[in-house]
Amino acid sequence: MKLIIERAVLLSSLGHVQSVVERRNTIPILSNVQLEASSTALSLTATDLDLAIVEKAPAKVEQVGATTVPAHTFHDIVRKLPEGAEVELTYHGAEGRLTLRAGRSEFSLACLPKEDFPVMAAGDLGFHFNLSAAELRRLVDKTRFAISMEETRYYLNGIHLHATKSGPQAVLRAVATDGHRLARVEMPLPAGAAGMPGVIVPRKTVNELRKLIDGVGDGVKVSLSDTKIRFAFMDAILTSKLIDGTFPDYERVIPSGNDKMLEVGCKDFAAAVDRVATISTEKSRAVKFALDKDRLTVSASSPENGSALEEIPVAYAAQALEIGFNSRYLLDIAERIEGETASFAMNDAASPTVVRDGADEGALYVLMPMRV
Amino acid sequence: MNAAALSLSPGEAPDHPRRSADLIGHRAAEAELLAAWRSGRLSHAWLIGGPRGIGKATLAFRFARFLLARGDAVSHDVGLPGLPGLDSGAGPEDLALAPTHPVFLRVASGGHADLLTIERQVNEKTGRLRSDIGVEEVRRLGDFFAKTAAEGGWRVAIVDAADEMSRSAANALLKILEEPPARAVILVVAHAPGGLLATIRSRCRRLVCRPLAAEEVATVLSRRAPALTPPERLALSHLADGSPGRALALAEQGGLAAYRDLLALLETLPDLDLAALHAFAERLARAENQALFRLTGELLSHWLVLVVRSAAAPGLGVGDGAAGEQPLIVRLGRRPSLDRWLDVWEKVNHILERAESVNLDRKQVLLNIFFALARAAQA
Repeated sequence: MKLIIERAVLLSSLGHVQSVVERRNTIPILSNVQLEASSTALSLTATDLDLAIVEKAPAKVEQVGATTVPAHTFHDIVRKLPEGAEVELTYHGAEGRLTLRAGRSEFSLACLPKEDFPVMAAGDLGFHFNLSAAELRRLVDKTRFAISMEETRYYLNGIHLHATKSGPQAVLRAVATDGHRLARVEMPLPAGAAGMPGVIVPRKTVNELRKLIDGVGDGVKVSLSDTKIRFAFMDAILTSKLIDGTFPDYERVIPSGNDKMLEVGCKDFAAAVDRVATISTEKSRAVKFALDKDRLTVSASSPENGSALEEIPVAYAAQALEIGFNSRYLLDIAERIEGETASFAMNDAASPTVVRDGADEGALYVLMPMRV
Repeated sequence: MNAAALSLSPGEAPDHPRRSADLIGHRAAEAELLAAWRSGRLSHAWLIGGPRGIGKATLAFRFARFLLARGDAVSHDVGLPGLPGLDSGAGPEDLALAPTHPVFLRVASGGHADLLTIERQVNEKTGRLRSDIGVEEVRRLGDFFAKTAAEGGWRVAIVDAADEMSRSAANALLKILEEPPARAVILVVAHAPGGLLATIRSRCRRLVCRPLAAEEVATVLSRRAPALTPPERLALSHLADGSPGRALALAEQGGLAAYRDLLALLETLPDLDLAALHAFAERLARAENQALFRLTGELLSHWLVLVVRSAAAPGLGVGDGAAGEQPLIVRLGRRPSLDRWLDVWEKVNHILERAESVNLDRKQVLLNIFFALARAAQA
């Protein structure tokens, strides 16, 4: 393998893939990134055995070939090279070394054979559809905060992506929950997604995907089967395992008969909750809502710190109600709301509350109250 | 340095079972695995039991590679007649996979995403291997089986060895065994399956690996330690009780020489050569000879077993010895009663154990042992 590549191009591609590689690895091959030179481009592959990212960068290739080098060392070297440098990479198969030349610097890196490198076989992915970067970003951003961190219920450790019907309309839905709150976002079903299996995309994959959306932008081709999912951007492909489990029947926890409607101005509401929550104790972070005609009183108290109280003008017409929430969860949801207003549909202090975004019909959040 | 040497993780031997292409012996166990695979109803968990160092992990990795490379048995693997001329009609005869096969290479490098090995890890603070397999390590199994297969087929986990698991680690493994995921196989390697939780044992299919014949051990030695002479190999095979791993360890530590030194002293029983005994004990008591002391203890225990056996069944003889110790053993075995030798054996093991655990004076320990032997031999 022999090629010349611009430092900036190499650094940006390497930057996208190297974050996947775990810093601490007892198995040497897993610390490596795979380099593969085809006729016009250099492909870089990194994996953590659960997901793999392949990124293509244009290069002047003199001789095709492939090998693997330690990812973080390679990234550090390229990062420290002067801006505007041209990097020459030569792989000497016989010695198992990769020589990197740029200006007056020369490095020789220990390689491991390409054959030792893990394979994330996409296999036969039966379903394919296209999403714009904005659509995918919305699905991810409005749900991923609710992903559970609890390992025992592993089937909640990801975003449940599936095709279903919302009334008469076929939709693509993303759902995440940790048992205390739930986020559900939907969009019209893209062509090709009809009949796709419901899958659970693991948390780490979601986070890497989110970085890629910002890093490489543009449209995404999503392909999936019941064991694998692939997000193909223009120059980068993310392939991942899925969570091998069944997502619970979340529809059952979304109440439909809540009749106490509350409408708040989202910004003022979030700021007030945040202020009041300062006083509540570290662990529970509970705040109490006292609702009366067009008035919401947010309060918190803690035996050590004292108490706090703030009144917010709201639109509320139902009978008076007292209800408690985890302020962290409220703020998480408020952060995802795009519109000026958010509407809360409540029943009583012990049943789940539904929150909707005034500007996004397709987003819905469910929040369990706390006893305060 | 070549590429193969580079791919070793720190503290890992070059002949780790993940890299071993041959399996010596264990034909019956291999056939049992193969038959289970053919039947299409593979048990989700296997408990591979047998003495240390006989190739249980080698068998486990061999089966893992086979399963990862082959996937499910298809009709012609099962021996059903295929279309004439299209396939050979016969399925695989053993679990072997060519060392050049892509799956073999990835398993050897530790880069196969559908194989998880649970073994003792290097403690980052001390740089040494931990003494047990901790619960954190076993919990990786849960995460591993919670995700779909990377290459689309089976997922295999190997626990090597289950005896090393801490209590909480064993409970964590039990949890996985209780709710086995689909298309997943857990291979539990154990040197002493009887010591595992009964609840773990009852959830695994037992696979018994027996010690190898002396010739088989010698074959392994000829491949792994070509520098040894044939008589040395044979002697080591006898000394190792059918465990090539033990034989290799003995070869590395100079086990044969230590055994000869020990025998030279034992020859004088029941009248001990006190000067020689003191010199011997003095030497082993030195700080730098701690490993040699432990080795000698093991060899002594092994030798006593031979004596006990000979005393129990005088007619059977003691078979081929490692270093011409048979006449001595037969002579001693005739002396007092069997229970006398059993007592000595028990006592010697006890003292050796105490020497290790409470750091007894090593010279005194050896003197005590030899005097006990002398008393037994005189009776």
